[in-house]
Amino acid sequence: MGFSLRSIVYLLPQVWRVLRAGPLTVQFPFAPPELQEGYRGQVVVDAARCRGCSLCVRDCPAFALELEREGREEYRLIYHPDRCAYCGQCELSCQFGAIRLSNTFTRATADRDTLTRVLVDRRPSPPPLDE
Amino acid sequence: MTKIIVPIGPQHPLLKEPVSFQLTVEGEHVTESAMRLGYVHRGIERLCQERTYVQNIHLLERICGICSHVHTTTFCQGVEALLGVKLPSRALYLRALLCELERIHSHLLWLGVLALNIGFDTIFMYAWHDREVVLDIMEDLSGGRVSHAVNIVGGVRFDLTDDRRVTLLRQLNGLEEQVRILLGVVEHEQTLQARTRNVGRLSLEQIRRYCVVGPVARASGLDVDLRRDMPRPPYDGLTFQVPVRQEGDVWARTLVRMLETVESVHLCRQMLDLLPPGPVSTRVSRRVPAGEVVSRTEAPRGEVVYYIRSDGSDKPARVKVRTPTLTNLITLPSQLENVNMADVSVVLSGVDLCIACADR
Repeated sequence: MGFSLRSIVYLLPQVWRVLRAGPLTVQFPFAPPELQEGYRGQVVVDAARCRGCSLCVRDCPAFALELEREGREEYRLIYHPDRCAYCGQCELSCQFGAIRLSNTFTRATADRDTLTRVLVDRRPSPPPLDE
Repeated sequence: MTKIIVPIGPQHPLLKEPVSFQLTVEGEHVTESAMRLGYVHRGIERLCQERTYVQNIHLLERICGICSHVHTTTFCQGVEALLGVKLPSRALYLRALLCELERIHSHLLWLGVLALNIGFDTIFMYAWHDREVVLDIMEDLSGGRVSHAVNIVGGVRFDLTDDRRVTLLRQLNGLEEQVRILLGVVEHEQTLQARTRNVGRLSLEQIRRYCVVGPVARASGLDVDLRRDMPRPPYDGLTFQVPVRQEGDVWARTLVRMLETVESVHLCRQMLDLLPPGPVSTRVSRRVPAGEVVSRTEAPRGEVVYYIRSDGSDKPARVKVRTPTLTNLITLPSQLENVNMADVSVVLSGVDLCIACADR
């Protein structure tokens, strides 16, 4: 009995700390999640800065970025969040500061095709229909 | 007496990762054991040959979910040796800082797993609560809780402001207090000792024969630690103790790991105090000169060895990874011999298996 009591004494400071701290549960998804400032979330692009050099596509380890080139200045940069490893290599590889990882994350979905997004669209706009 | 074969795994509440054990039990005692690996083999070494050095850093980070930073550190260290680049001191300090934080996180996680397996849920909760502090620090520094993605060939990707450094020191002080409470529990708690003392004992001779590394070796009296025995900067300028015990049982391993955690907190504090100014990375070529290199680092579970061969292109010709779990796994059949069935969970936990590392 004496031994058991001595064992418990070593835990008392921790018990006191936990009681004082109160509950740590976050009410997600009913409340916004607590994300750190530098959290690596979804990839976003400043389209004005993008030159279509495809350095991000070349270095992406998860093949989540795709560049569809139709001409020298005409291209489409497509992002597949379902493949993305959120490693931030694209941000590091971009020489123009166009691509970065934002502080938001992709919500779950039952259809992965709906996740795919076109980040930059520089294709020539289709000619107006003849009236 | 009738022999019964008890299968444990590949899916079993006792195991956190898939591995299979077949235990031959006579009465209450295990007489024989067989092990089967390979359930989480992902062919990472082969995949490395298909990808560039830049992409490989992120691939190798996914070998393990606990010591991910150590894997990229060892890989980058090797590639930097092939390139012949000298890293800025600040980069080396920041790299080592994350290595030590990872060691704290790994050992606290392991203590939680051991406590859960022996039915001591209070310690499981408290250890994982304290581990959360380290995870928060690492997320704040790197942007990711598990995959930090901070290493690049030629340095690191993050820097520490002076304000952040002061906050970090304060957080580490709080963490040390909590770790010391857990250390007190390991040293004095009667139920924990009753379950772990004289269980899974390995002699020094066995440790040498099986080439065991890390805390398992140090708990059996083998005084080996790469950070001290082959010091690289910044470890050559830091002072720390390497805890060694002679008992060789699961309790000694628990104690060694908890003492190491305290030492790691001290190391983090020293590194923050001595953090030199300057850049955190240097520009390097994407193509690596032909040659081969062996890179070694002291991971939380022991020594990680990387062999990298380059043919002069931007993709490695061969990457071979030897993780500490692979050597420590071999000791399990002799540890499980004549063990009471109820102690199997303690023996399996004691080694700190990382099957994802072993299978790659």
